[in-house]
Amino acid sequence: MALKMISGNQAAAIAVQRVGVDLVTAYPITPQTAIVEALADFAANGELGGDFVSVESEYAALACCNGAAATGARVFTATGSHGLAYMHEMIHWCSGARLPIVMVNVNRTIGAPWCLDPDQGDSLSQRDTGWLQLYCANGQEVFDSVIQAFILAEKLLLPCMVVFDGFYISHTYEVVDVADEEIVRKLVGPPAFAPQVIPGQPGNLHGLSTGETQLKLVKERHQAMSGVPLLFAQINAAFNEQLGRSYNIVEAMIPPGAKRAVVAVGATAETVRWALPALDHTGLIQLRLFRPFPAAEIREVVREKGLNELLVIDRNCSVGMGGIFAQELRSALYGMKSPPLVRSLILAGGVDLTENMLLDLLQSTGPEENFALRWGDEF
Amino acid sequence: MDRAITEFRLHGRGGQGIVVAAAIFAEAVFIDGHYARAFSLFGAERRGAPVTAFIRTGSERLMPRSRIYNPDCVVVFDATISGNTLYAGLKDEGKLLLNAGPGRQEMVPPDLFLNQRFQIFKINARDIAWKHQLAIGSFPMINTVMLGAMAKVSGLATIEALIKSIRQRVSASIDANIKAAIDGYENVEEVSCFVRGTS
Repeated sequence: MALKMISGNQAAAIAVQRVGVDLVTAYPITPQTAIVEALADFAANGELGGDFVSVESEYAALACCNGAAATGARVFTATGSHGLAYMHEMIHWCSGARLPIVMVNVNRTIGAPWCLDPDQGDSLSQRDTGWLQLYCANGQEVFDSVIQAFILAEKLLLPCMVVFDGFYISHTYEVVDVADEEIVRKLVGPPAFAPQVIPGQPGNLHGLSTGETQLKLVKERHQAMSGVPLLFAQINAAFNEQLGRSYNIVEAMIPPGAKRAVVAVGATAETVRWALPALDHTGLIQLRLFRPFPAAEIREVVREKGLNELLVIDRNCSVGMGGIFAQELRSALYGMKSPPLVRSLILAGGVDLTENMLLDLLQSTGPEENFALRWGDEF
Repeated sequence: MDRAITEFRLHGRGGQGIVVAAAIFAEAVFIDGHYARAFSLFGAERRGAPVTAFIRTGSERLMPRSRIYNPDCVVVFDATISGNTLYAGLKDEGKLLLNAGPGRQEMVPPDLFLNQRFQIFKINARDIAWKHQLAIGSFPMINTVMLGAMAKVSGLATIEALIKSIRQRVSASIDANIKAAIDGYENVEEVSCFVRGTS
């Protein structure tokens, strides 16, 4: 265990090296490039332990991961923004084929026009592809989430995406507790999922099925995903024992008496957490998981604390409907006896959330006015 | 919890190593027992284009994860970038550290020195870099000189911690870079018109 001053991208790459993979294949894109560079360095120095395959596109990267994972290999790729969009067809294929692929997505706005700031729309637009999605608020969470992603993916036979904000995390050098290879390998264990195909023994995978078969398979994937909370509890116990830290799927910091909470995902959660002492009777709910959506855990916090108002920071926008996390929350709270009011601040384009913006927003909030939807440029 | 945070903004040009400098400084602050983060704003950075980097330091690991709008200290590697915007948002009684000298990249707009809102410090980083033969072709590498000056002006990193950080993070001309940092530390001078309490 060692405290290191590293960037979020370096934290992701080192975590992959610590886990030990058979194959890394990735195509560079800002702001993810440093992950590919670091993993290529590991490969060049003989420290990766597996192969690094250069590919001509993101689509090829994920196709290559598909093929390798089907043979039982542990694989990793990373991308962001347009790169993720370009992978879209293969992203569906990975989960349908039940391949435990781990991918980092560094959030970046999808054009037009070109933009490098960290809108979450790239990863959120892959919502319905059947991947697990973990969101990180700092470099430490990046390092730990990559390790957790391999455990989750391989236990559930579902691909897992680890997501964090471009620049605010990817390019921020900060102190990260980097666990030793030995401890990480103990936590993850060797890849132990059955190969679907043996090299040298030709076969046909995932041939034409009927709708009825698909329904059964989709149901199985849905049920597999519902196993995440239980598995996460086991992962937490192991992390606590080995590293002295763990993470809740839904991290709630609600001061006594507070009846409202800011809901934040990713880098903005840390700014809210920092600002909490200055916020009037307001708590924070940080969501670490988007798929599966932690509806039961959120309802429990709301019920237990008696919250009557949730203010969601959405660094994204589903045009025509509004903030995506706000939508998901409203859906998760539906049917509660007295569900809290869900409001949304939209920071589409990945614009910055400052402490002052938060203070202005909370001060201007009142039940008599229509605050259901606010935009970041109003402050 | 001690919530005191000190924020830096660094201005320079692509190729001057300001993003690397920010990380080296953050590491030095950490070696001295405080937390620090270094980050950069990305356009399509390339050699010669204006680049901005940031450092945030504090005594707790938790810090806001937002950009820096009102720095306590602005460090200018190349004053030819864009005059007045260099110190935009700099706090009253804050600190402005300039790479200043007779060279073309060190030409500081003269009226800047008359500013009474904040403290001003200068270092001739170009000459020190040349003295230690720190250059890529005809392009002097001034970042370790500026780091020495930053350590002195801010008081947030000791020269010992800075040297340790340079050893950890610099891969070429390590000794020359350390000497350059020490020269930066020892030769930075205050040139303020600023009088405390009158701004």
